[in-house]
Amino acid sequence: MSVFLASESDPIAHIVDKGVLGFSLFDQPVMLSMITLIGCAIVLYLLMHKAAKSIATGPVAMGNRRFIPIGSFAALVEVVIVYLRNEMLIPVMGERLTKRYLSFLLSMFFFILALNVVGLIPFVDIQDAIYGLMGKKFDIAEHETSAIFGGAATASISVTGGLALVSFIVIQFQGFRELGVKGWLEHLCGGHELVHGSIFLWLVVPIIFVVEFFGLFVKPAALAIRLFANMVAGHTLLITLTMFGAMAIKAGLGTFAVGGITIVSGIGAILITFLEVFVAVLQAFIFMFLTAVFISLMAHEEEEGHSEHGTDDGHAASVTTAAH
Amino acid sequence: MLIASTDPLAFNLLPFVTTIVVFSVVAIALGIFVWPKILKGLDDRNAKILHEIESAEAARAVAAAKQKEFEQKLAEALEQAAQMIREAKSEAVRMGDEIRAKSEADLAERARRAGEEIENARRAAIAELESHAATLAVSIAGRILKREINPADQKRMIEESMTGMSTISGKRN
Repeated sequence: MSVFLASESDPIAHIVDKGVLGFSLFDQPVMLSMITLIGCAIVLYLLMHKAAKSIATGPVAMGNRRFIPIGSFAALVEVVIVYLRNEMLIPVMGERLTKRYLSFLLSMFFFILALNVVGLIPFVDIQDAIYGLMGKKFDIAEHETSAIFGGAATASISVTGGLALVSFIVIQFQGFRELGVKGWLEHLCGGHELVHGSIFLWLVVPIIFVVEFFGLFVKPAALAIRLFANMVAGHTLLITLTMFGAMAIKAGLGTFAVGGITIVSGIGAILITFLEVFVAVLQAFIFMFLTAVFISLMAHEEEEGHSEHGTDDGHAASVTTAAH
Repeated sequence: MLIASTDPLAFNLLPFVTTIVVFSVVAIALGIFVWPKILKGLDDRNAKILHEIESAEAARAVAAAKQKEFEQKLAEALEQAAQMIREAKSEAVRMGDEIRAKSEADLAERARRAGEEIENARRAAIAELESHAATLAVSIAGRILKREINPADQKRMIEESMTGMSTISGKRN
C-alpha cells in the first residue's frame, strides 16, 4: 500500500513515530526514530571525522597548503563552526565558557541539524518504492511500518525531550560548578544582592524562587516543545501538500483535475521544502544557542554582565524572543 | 508487547532514553576525536595568518627604514654632488681669475719690456741720429769755414752739438 494512500486522510499519522515491524526491546516496539537517531549519529560522526581530517593542519611537506581545508564540505563545516564560535557563542558566553562548552554545543547543533535534514528526505517513501520494485509488500499502519530508517525524529516529543534533558543537565552542572550550592540557591532567589540586601526585599524572594524554580524546567521544556512543534508543523504542511494528488484520485476527479492539483501542490511542496530546509537549520541553531544562553546565565555575575553587555542591544534576548 | 501511540504528543520512554544515550555517545566521540582536530586546525591557521601578518609588518617596517636610510643617503649624495659642483665651479672661477691675472701681469710685463726696448731703441736711434747729425753738421761747418778742424776741435764741437741736440730733444719729449 502506498505511503501516501495509507495516510491520506490524516497527515499526522504519516509524521508520528512508528514501531519498526518485527523489532522490540524490553517488550516495547523499537521505534523508527531510534534507528534514525543511531543512523544519523553514525553518519554525522563519519562526515565530521572526514571534515576534521580535511580541516586539520596537514604535514609540513605540504607547505602553506597544509593550512587550507580540502573539499567544499569541510569548508562549509569550517565556516559554520567559525561563525557559531566567533559571532554567536563568544559574544554571549565569553571566551572561557565558550572554550569549555564549545564541543557540547557544536555536537548538539550538528546532531539536531542532521536529524532535521534527514526528516526532510523521504526515506520511508524511497523504501516503499524499493519494496515495490522488489515485488515485496510494504506495510505502513497507524502504529508500525516496514521502513527501517527515515522519518522526522525531531518531530517526536520523546526525542526532543531527551535532547532537552541533556541541555538541562549541562545547564545545572554549569550552575553548580560555577556558583556552588549556596550560589545556585541564591541565583534561584534573585541573586546575591537581593538575598543579602534589605529585609524588605525578602518579601519578593519567595515569588522569585517559585518563578526561577519552575523556570529551571520550563526553559528546557520550551526547547523541546519549540523544536518538536516546528518540525511537526512543517512536515504536516509538506505532507498535506503532497497528499492532495492522492486525495484527488480517491475523490474520483478527472485526469485533468488530478494533474492540475498534483502540479500545483507539487510546486507548493517544493517551495515549502526550501522553507523547511531553512527551518531545519534555524531550529538547530535556536536549540543550541538558547542552551548557550542558559549556560551563560549560570555563570558568575561579572560574566552575566559580559553576556548582557557584550552583545549588541541584547542580541541574546532578541533571539530568545524571536524563537518564542 | 506495547504498541506505539498515534498521538504525536505521546511520550515514549525508549526513544527518550535512546536519544540521551545516542547523543551522549556521539557528543563524547565528536568531543574527543573530531572537534579538537577541527579547532586546532582553525587555531593553527589563525596563528599562521597572525604570524604572517606580523612578519609582513616587520618586513614592511624594515623596508621602510631601509628606504628612509636610502633616501637619506641619496639626499646626502645629492648634496655632496652639489657641493662638489659648487667647489669645482668656484675652483674654476678662481683658476680662471688666476690665469687671467697671470696673463694680464705677463702681458703688462711684456708690454713694459717692449716699451723699455722701444725706448732704448728710440734713444739709441736718437743718439745715433744725433751723432750723425753732429758729424754732418761739423763737416758742413768745416766746409763752410774752409779751415782745418783738428780732431780736438771736432770732438768739442760734436759734444757741444750733442749737448744742444739733447737739450732740444729733451724739450721735444
